[in-house]
Parts: sequence; structure tokens; C-alpha cells
Amino acid sequence: MGKYRVVHYINQFFGQIGGEEKVDHKPEAREGFVGPGMAFNAAFGDKAEIVGTVICGDSYFNENLEAATKEVLDLIKSFEPDIVIAGPAFNAGRYGMACGTVASTVEKELGIPAITGMYVENPGVDSFKKDIYIISTKNSAAGMRDAVKTMAAFALKLAAGEEIGASAEEGYIPNGIRVNFFEEKRGSERAVDMLLAKMAGKPYTTEFPMPDFDRVEPRPAVKDITKATIALVTSGGIVPKGNPDHIESSSASKYGKYDIEGVFDLTENTYETAHGGYDPVAANQDADRVLPVDILREYEKAGKIGKLHRYFYSTTGNGTAVASAKAYAAAIGKELVADGVDAVILTST
Amino acid sequence: MILITNNPKVYDDPNIGCDKEFIDGSIKDVLVAVRDRIHIGHKLLSHPLSGSVKPNETPYKSILISKEAGNMDWDSLQIIENSIEVCEKFVRYPIKCGYNIQERLLADFSEVDYQLIVAALASAANK
Amino acid sequence: MKLELGHIHIHDIQFDSVSRVENGTLFVNAEELREHLLEDENIQSVSFEIARPGESIRILPVKDVIEPRVKVQGSGGIFPGILSKVSTVGSGRTHVLKGAAVVTTGKIVGFQEGIIDMSGPGADYTPFSKLNNLVVVCEPVDGLKQYAHEKAVRLAGLKAAAYLGKLAKDVDPDEVEVYETPSLKEGIEKYPDLPRVAYVQMLQTQGLLHDTYVYGVDMKHSLPTMIYPTELMDGAVVSGNCVSACDKNTTYHHLNNPVVHDLFAKHGTELNFVGIIITNENVYLADKERSSDWSAKLAEFFGVDGVIISQEGFGNPDTDLIMNCKKIEAKGIKTVIITDEYAGRDGASQSLADADASADAVVTGGNANMLVSLPPMEKVIGHPEVANVIAGGFEGSLQQDGTIVVELQAITGATNELGFNRLSAR
Repeated sequence: MGKYRVVHYINQFFGQIGGEEKVDHKPEAREGFVGPGMAFNAAFGDKAEIVGTVICGDSYFNENLEAATKEVLDLIKSFEPDIVIAGPAFNAGRYGMACGTVASTVEKELGIPAITGMYVENPGVDSFKKDIYIISTKNSAAGMRDAVKTMAAFALKLAAGEEIGASAEEGYIPNGIRVNFFEEKRGSERAVDMLLAKMAGKPYTTEFPMPDFDRVEPRPAVKDITKATIALVTSGGIVPKGNPDHIESSSASKYGKYDIEGVFDLTENTYETAHGGYDPVAANQDADRVLPVDILREYEKAGKIGKLHRYFYSTTGNGTAVASAKAYAAAIGKELVADGVDAVILTST
Repeated sequence: MILITNNPKVYDDPNIGCDKEFIDGSIKDVLVAVRDRIHIGHKLLSHPLSGSVKPNETPYKSILISKEAGNMDWDSLQIIENSIEVCEKFVRYPIKCGYNIQERLLADFSEVDYQLIVAALASAANK
Repeated sequence: MKLELGHIHIHDIQFDSVSRVENGTLFVNAEELREHLLEDENIQSVSFEIARPGESIRILPVKDVIEPRVKVQGSGGIFPGILSKVSTVGSGRTHVLKGAAVVTTGKIVGFQEGIIDMSGPGADYTPFSKLNNLVVVCEPVDGLKQYAHEKAVRLAGLKAAAYLGKLAKDVDPDEVEVYETPSLKEGIEKYPDLPRVAYVQMLQTQGLLHDTYVYGVDMKHSLPTMIYPTELMDGAVVSGNCVSACDKNTTYHHLNNPVVHDLFAKHGTELNFVGIIITNENVYLADKERSSDWSAKLAEFFGVDGVIISQEGFGNPDTDLIMNCKKIEAKGIKTVIITDEYAGRDGASQSLADADASADAVVTGGNANMLVSLPPMEKVIGHPEVANVIAGGFEGSLQQDGTIVVELQAITGATNELGFNRLSAR
């Protein structure tokens, strides 16, 4: 039996093409391994080899999803692989989305086993963990060595059609499918150890994560809306034309704060959307459609609200990690409270 | 109290004195009937997933709800919705068995459901 | 309270004309035991079989499993309030026939559940495949009502275990373990710096075939209370629970409670095992509220820093479990809960019937819906034809050649929620 043929998908950075300035790099194929592919190849030993590498810029992929996926898939297909490995993407959101899309589409359309690796908070995890196995990695390339080791071993198992065990055994991120396996210690002993750790404030891992509730207590209603200061906050990506703060089209790493003192209407010439997750035409024509400045100014004039807050806050919700979104909200909330805002209208897409 | 049941043994028992309502249907039908009552403000008094016999093994279910209806009780709603979800999870895999065992089984399942609701009624009576 | 537990290791079991324990073999005079059990008018006939580890034997349907024990010193007798007087047990010395068990079987009520395979893949999922079992097959008198039938078989099992246990009374144990729980005051003085831990044990108490007895008292009628760990070792808690083979606690489980043992293992060194709070799992919702309030109140009163909560059974006990967890956590006491899962045959469904964010430290006994294929065994003790209607079975479960394809929930003790096994899930 010969070696398994592996194709490796990586982005422009790991493909040694460039950094942020090369995020628009179109898909290309190379013979053999590139960059971290070398480590994978070594880990495969005589069982498998990387016969080809497909490289694509993260922005190009995310902003041209359909076309890019097709191009990448055609390139992958040309190598006739037995198995496909994407990434690992660690905590890079756009790279994670690209790896997840590539791996899941390869499985679905080419019927070839595909895996990737990500840090548990990467937005790509929630989007793809039910479609493909995602090996759990550290949150930066410092975890490359461990990631390669686990991913390579797992890939070989998949290629050989072996039975896949529980997430804790194999190293993939729990995907909601419960799989039984035998632990070293019996349950009661695991419980005692867990309690000792919990009481001591030490880290422990629950064997069954409760479903995510994230219930938020609603605040009491505004007493007198005609006197209230209302602020606008959006995850729809509305920004001044030209996107001066370079808010990303997805996996936003920041939010913007913009002054609308004296602005009564958002126009095609003054505002646009940075969000890459919906058709931008309508929002670019009239950003009020996502951030209703015009209506609130009317209400202000008519005395229906006290006033529209001077600043609006904006980011893109598309593929943005929950942890990031929470952090932005906490920071924005603090400022709004300090500025005496009474209520917020939050818009998305 | 109102007792909602699809178990003839429970419904026909003269010793059970509270209001009774018979549902001619499956366990899920009983759960849905209870859920509809909870929506209009009745409170759940007994747990719908009584007993460890699974929803795809026994056809019988009896549930106690309050006679009075007030504001909708969130806890009651949570419990009944979770119970419906559990029921659906199990009845995907029905257990069928031969006719000659069927009769005896049904009598036994009916008895267990009956005993469990009698135990709940005993708790209710101690008020 | 202090108890010495003397273990007499049993490696084999044989029928013989004289019941005795000799060089690690348990000899049973079947005739004598049969007469003893037939003293119960409700039992029409009794037969016995032997099943040893590794043999190609399948036992089904299994009702209860009980370990033979006897009190050698100290107040009371085994299974207080049922076979013995109500005097408090748990102190002095008790002998155990370690490696032996009584397994009761028979068609009580419809769902014929509980499989024990003594070898093959099924043996890995039940702890009882490792024991030398005396299987007791009881037939009730005709027309016996379900309640009386269950009671008759339950008592027969306890009596058989007590009869065998007595054989250990004058035998020198191979090893002796000592378990001691100080009073609250002594404990604080002795272990001032150790974290204080209590064990909250939830007992199945729903009604017919779903009951647990503590000193003979039906626990559904009791408020939560405290009990010494060593009382469990003398049979203070007895199972009347016949449903859901995988996650019901057999009397054997109660006698050998693993949470108790593993807490004792670290008692005095890493923690102070203060004691046990036993509570129930009633169907009536107000009872659930009352009992969980009470357990939380007791935990707070005992001044503990953490508790382990174990449960029993399927479905509505998940509600008690979450109530207990939430209310105890709300008192500032850390919890770890032990449960099992019904995540569907594909493992993709919601595992529990209830949930809460405060239950953030969970140990699981595994997914009970997982399908297993149990190969045919040379001998089946009990009623093989019930495999189709066994919990977790389905039309076509029992194949021509004797193979049974069932969900894990059909195997006795498979996903035990006391943490008895190493099985888990992720």
C-alpha cells in the first residue's frame, strides 16, 4: 500500500507570500509542501505525504466565498488527494472561516476526509464543528508543534477509516456528538479530584458542558422616552466613507466611535458599510437603513425622544468571536454610561 | 387540581377524587395538552417525566396541574418543554413487541403509571 | 462512628451439601437456602444458578444485586429495619464476602430489564461480570399483585445475601479496612485546615418499582436527613428500584458506594469528609422544591465548602439534580454533580432533561442510548425472549443466533450515577 496523498490548504502568511498586505492573494497551487507543511510531512513518516499545497489570501477567500471556494476546490482536486488538511488557523478568525469552509466543502462535495485545527475561541469553531473535525490548538502559532502532531495522527486515522473515539481521547474540539469511552479512573474518583480542584480555585474541565443560556436580565423600561438620550450602536459595520479605521469585513479586531454632531442623514457620499457578510449595495446607498440616524433626528425635532447621542459605535458582527464582542460591549457600555446615555438602539443586519 | 391522563386505570378509578381529563392519545398528546394549559396559566404540580420507564416503552402518562390559572409560570413551561423534547428524542426509536407479551405489558405499564400518580396525589393531599 | 470492614476474598462458588466458606470458595447448600426463601408464602418456587467471571453466561432480566455481609461486632444487624431490628448500624466490625454476589431475576412487571453478560463485550459494561454470582430465580404465586411481587423478590435477595453473609462471621478476613467519621465538633478540631466536604446522595423514590428504603423507611416519605457513611456499608440503604438497569443503584451499589470510598480515601489528608446528606426524587414538584431547599439548608448547616451530588434514574431526577446544585451553589458551596446521559443513539441530542449554568462541574457515566451488540452466550439464565422488550431493545433486538442488539441502558449498572464505573463521554 502506498502513502496517502495529502493536500494542505494554508493562507498567504503561512504560504510565505506575505502578511496583511497580501490578504487579497488569489488561490494558487504548489507542488509538495510549503511552510508548516514540512512539519506535517515529517510527522506523517512513511504513511502519507503532502503532494500539493493550495494557498489563498484570507480576505480574498472571505469576500469571494463562492468563487474562491470553487477555485480552491478545483486546485485541491487536481492533486487527487486521499485526505485534506487545512490550517491550523489557531485564533485567526478569517483564516479559521476559510479553513472550515474548505474542509467541510471538500468532505461534502469531494467525499474526501478533511480536517483542520483551531483555537477553541476561533469563530470558525462554532460555524464548522458539526461539519468537520477541528483539532483543538493553542491560540497562536507557538502551538504549531503540538497541533501538527495531533492533526497528523488524527488525519492518518481518518484516512485509514479507523473508528474515531471521544473528543477527549482524540483531541478534537467537542462537536456536540457525545461519544462513550473508558477513563483511567472511575467516576467517583474523578468527581473527588474535580471537587478538590474547584474548591482550591484550580482549573478543571467539566465532562459535560451545560447548554449555553447566556440569559440577560432585561433592564426596566425607560420612564420617559421624550426626555431620554438615545445612542446608536451597530454590528452592521456602518462607518464613515473610506473606513478610516480599517474595520475588518469579518472577524473584527476593533470597533469605531464616530461623531455625528450636526449629521442629520447618512448619504452615499459620507457613509458606507464595512461588513462583508451581507450584500452591501442597499447599505452603501443609504446607511440609514442599518443605522437609522435620519429617523432619530426627526424624532428629536418632534420631541419624541430627548436627543440622539453625539457618538455612534460600530463594528462588524460577521465571524467576530463572542469573547471579542463581549469585550467591545463592555468598553462601549462604560462610555455610554459615563456620557449619561439612557437607552441604546442596537442594530445588526 | 386537574389530573390529565391517557391511562384508563387512572381515569376510571373512583378513589381518585380530583377533576380528571382523559386524553385519547399518546404520551406526547398528554404532554402537549398539559403544555397548552400551562400556556394559559395553569401550574405544573407533578413532573411529566415520572418514573424511569422510557417514553418509547410505556404508552401511559398521568400529570397533575393546578385547577386555578394565573399568570404563566416560567418554571412550569421550562419543565414541560424539556419533557416534550425528551419524549421526542425517545419516540424516534419505537419499541415494538409481540402481541402475546403486549397485553400483559400494557397492564403492567398502566399499573406503574397509576402507582406513581397515586404517590404524587398522596404528597398533594398532605397539604 | 467507626467501622472495621473485613474482606474475605471469594474466588469461586460451588453448590455443596454444606454451606460454608473455605479457602476462598463459597459453598452453597441450595436446598437449605431454598427452604429458607420459601418461607415467604408469596413465593411459589425458587431455583438457583451459578455464574462466574469469564463464563459464557447471560443473566436476564436482573432485578437486584446484593453483596453478602454480616455484622460481627457492634450494634444492629445487616439490612436494619428490614431483616434486622432498627438499631443503628455502621460501627464495630462487619465481614464481607468480597467477590461474591446474589443476583435476583424473574419477570416482575412488563419491561424485563437488566442484562449481565459474564464474558464478551457486554462484560466490560457491568461490574457484576467480575463477581461470582449466585443467581436466584423466583416465581411468585399465581395472581400476585405487582407490588407484592416486587417486595417478595426484593426480600428474597436480601435474605439470600444475609444467609451467605453469615457464613463469613467466623472466618478470618484477608484484609481489614477501617472507616471513621468524627462528630462535627471533633472533625473541626481534628482537621481545622482541610476543606469540608459532604456527599449529597439522591435516592430514587417515585413509587412502585422505583423506591428506596432507609432502615426500612420508604424514603419518599422522609425529609432529607444526614446519615453516616458507614451505615451504608451495613445495608442501611436498600434498593426497591427495578427500572432503568443502567442507572439504577442496586443494593450492591449502596453497600459499596464509590463516592463514599473515594472521599474516605482522601479523608484526613486532602479533605474532611463530614458526612452524607440523603435526599429523595419525588414526582410531586413541591416535594422536589422542599427537598432541595432542605438539602441546601443541611449543607449550609454542616458548614461544608463543597459537595458531591449523585443521582439515580432517568428523566425527572435531572430536575432534582439541578435544583440541588443551584441551591447549594447559591449558598457559596462548590458542587460537583454525577449524572449519566441520554444523548440519543447518534449522541447528538440534549443529554439531560434539565440544565443550569451553575452546574459547571459534571462527571458523566456515559451515554445510555449507545447501541451495543452482545454476542450469543452458551447459557442464558432467566428469560431470553424478553430481549425484544427490554429497555433499550427493539423489534429485532434478539437475533436468530442469540445475539442481542440493545442500547447500553439495558445493561445492569452500565452508566451508574454514583461514579462506580470508568465509562465516560465527551
